[in-house]
Amino acid sequence: MLAFAVRRFFTALVSVWLASLVVFSAIVAIPGDPAEIILGLNSSPEARAALRTKLGLDVPAPQRYVAWLGGVLRGDFGESLNYQQPVAKLIGGRLKVSVPLSLGAAILATLLAIPLGILAAVRRGTFVDPLVVALSQLGAAIPGFWLGLLFILYFAVELRLFPAGGFTPFATDPAKWFRSLVLPMLALGLGQAAVMVRMTRAAMLEVLDQDFVRTARAKGLGQRSVVLKHALRNAMVTIITILGLSLTNVFIGSIVIEQVFALPGMGRLAITAIGTRDFPLLQGEILVYAATIVFLGFLVDLSYGLLDPRIRYS
Amino acid sequence: MVAIRFPHARLGGKALAAALVASALLFGGAFAQDPAPVTGGTLTVAITADPPGWDPTASTSQEIPRVVYNNVFEGLVKFDRTGAIVPGLAESYDISADGLTWTFNLRQGVKFHDGSAFSAADVVAKFERARNPESGHTHPEYYAAIEGIAAPDDHTVVFTLSKPSRGLLYNLARPDSIIYPAAKADTQRSQPIGTGPFKFASYTEGSEVVLERNADYYVAGVPYLDKAVFKIIGDPNTRFAALQAGDIDLTGVTSEQYLVLGGNPELKGTEGTMTTEITVAMNNTRAPFDDVRVRQAITMAIDKQAIVQGAFFGLGTVIGSHMSPSEPYYIDLSGTYPYDPQRAKELLAEAGYADGFTIHFELPEPYNIERRSGEVVAQMLREVGINVELSVVEWGTWIQRIFLGGDYDMTIIGHSEPRDINVYANPDYYYHYDNPHIGELLSEADAAGSTEAETAAYQEIAKIIANDAVNVWLFSPPVLMAAKQNVYGFWTDQPTPAIDVTEVFKTN
Repeated sequence: MLAFAVRRFFTALVSVWLASLVVFSAIVAIPGDPAEIILGLNSSPEARAALRTKLGLDVPAPQRYVAWLGGVLRGDFGESLNYQQPVAKLIGGRLKVSVPLSLGAAILATLLAIPLGILAAVRRGTFVDPLVVALSQLGAAIPGFWLGLLFILYFAVELRLFPAGGFTPFATDPAKWFRSLVLPMLALGLGQAAVMVRMTRAAMLEVLDQDFVRTARAKGLGQRSVVLKHALRNAMVTIITILGLSLTNVFIGSIVIEQVFALPGMGRLAITAIGTRDFPLLQGEILVYAATIVFLGFLVDLSYGLLDPRIRYS
Repeated sequence: MVAIRFPHARLGGKALAAALVASALLFGGAFAQDPAPVTGGTLTVAITADPPGWDPTASTSQEIPRVVYNNVFEGLVKFDRTGAIVPGLAESYDISADGLTWTFNLRQGVKFHDGSAFSAADVVAKFERARNPESGHTHPEYYAAIEGIAAPDDHTVVFTLSKPSRGLLYNLARPDSIIYPAAKADTQRSQPIGTGPFKFASYTEGSEVVLERNADYYVAGVPYLDKAVFKIIGDPNTRFAALQAGDIDLTGVTSEQYLVLGGNPELKGTEGTMTTEITVAMNNTRAPFDDVRVRQAITMAIDKQAIVQGAFFGLGTVIGSHMSPSEPYYIDLSGTYPYDPQRAKELLAEAGYADGFTIHFELPEPYNIERRSGEVVAQMLREVGINVELSVVEWGTWIQRIFLGGDYDMTIIGHSEPRDINVYANPDYYYHYDNPHIGELLSEADAAGSTEAETAAYQEIAKIIANDAVNVWLFSPPVLMAAKQNVYGFWTDQPTPAIDVTEVFKTN
């Protein structure tokens, strides 16, 4: 188990490094010059050259990459070209928005989807199952940004229960902080829940059809015990895989939702970084995204062994 | 400079003539009926993006002046809400008869927001830096006519010019020409220190920037507000929803949002002008655009009025040369080559293209007005037999290959910089239009002895390029603002990109 964890961890590191290399190459390859974006299109070539030197852009790209990587290994993520602030500080500030948003949405999706998925599977053949399936189909078909706009129109513009957008830091006012995250969490979480309901239902149905469930019922166990102790435990491996994927989906999906709700999160920072060809900032962002996704995958892999003793790592 | 301005959202649906009439009735002449100003309160305004720092002398991003121009920073002279050049930190100025000696009499007793006194030394240091191409100051060429800068005393500054330059005064009113404390040139990006009616209080990157009333402002009575909060909201739908929800007081809106404003009694809208020309640019050296008859034919094949009506609900002014109605030298040249598809076909036949030809028309990805107009233009050109291949290009590519590289057939963009008709004197500009006479006329305008002579020279340039059909200038889009009913005194026109809140107030 430990050997597996260590090996898996190094694979993860390599994945993250490769991601940073791909992104760096991409940003070098696409047209656009940060100095020009900062100084404007009609700026003189001399002024642009002077700024490029100041920003360290006159150094050849491979050298820049090595310098950047060296900095990262020492814990220095460099300075944003556009904001002229440390990348670590910028990203740190944005994680305060994106982490609660993504986690909140994922928790919401899980709390909603797993009970509903189980319910649909257990009540197969009654009206509950098709109702849940239909709702989840609808939820999966509605794009999050559109749902977000509807929420804004109804809950913010009509009822004025929540702000239409923007973010209040927790430290400023916890109540306002929560209110600023409710609608985005719902918009992000509901679509995710819809997908998870279907997968939970499918996983449960598969398990419920198996022999050991029939045996459990035959030896007189109650429905509750059969479903929760026997079936759910066995469906859990699939469900946890879905959960891992959904956390990733939610984290990525927050890019769009942040735009709709004007939240100063990671996604909007990445969009700005691409627009301004701010490569140190974009590199830092991608590193965080890649590390998060890889780390979630790592956690999911580890959890299999805990959930299902039949799975052994070698 | 190419358009960087309020992004415009999707423009869809049908023209609502009735709604237009209604909105004209509802929103007409708001300014005349303003109530007496009320002091105090907080104004919340939406802006669209984080600027790259707050120093208008370090970056040309229009997001910077939008917040700080006239609010935090001021120059010797400044633009007012009509675009007129009015005294700023210079109480008055004298230009010698030969036009070569400019004397600025500075306001006395003015303090920067950090408490230090504003003096002639700050002005000298500023313009020494501004005209030095190595200093990193934006647009050193704006100050090229200045040969010497002197400060005979603490409140007088004298510019000696190498040649008379009318353009210099205009440039001195631009956001690039703001004055900051001489010792703090390098820290303006993060800690803007100016002399304006508002102090820069705080900036939460990605979220909001807060300005606070400058109690020491040298103009008595203003500002009215205690605080102005600029909230960064990228999505146009969210901006509008925030206004409707009461989260913000003022924002720029899209045309379809503007049209539905009339239905909300809590909101009002204003329609004003800005210096943008939506331009279908042609590569004048590349066949078939190297033939003036082809360019004329293309102009005559396009029904500009139909584009404004059909795609933008009639909001916008059809133009016929590279100038918007907000320019002081504006003349209506939209009749130079009027819409006449039959004549367009004849001209194409005369040019030897009776069977048409194929061109590649590239639309810039981030700009909706341009993309939408471009699609209609392509359809109109197809109707006179031109085979148009449409494609959409990413912004960075557009800048590199088309704008800087000049490698393209036809494209479309909004040119938003004021007084940018001067680009037609540059044969290397991406239109590849080469006419030395334009340069001569520009020099004439700059050296002109009177405003009339200057205006005449600019109008001559406008006519020449219109006659040569260098590009097709479609229309000038309006500035559409929406506000809560109790908000007064904001700028309805954009002679320069700025949300000047000096005279804004809120009742009740």
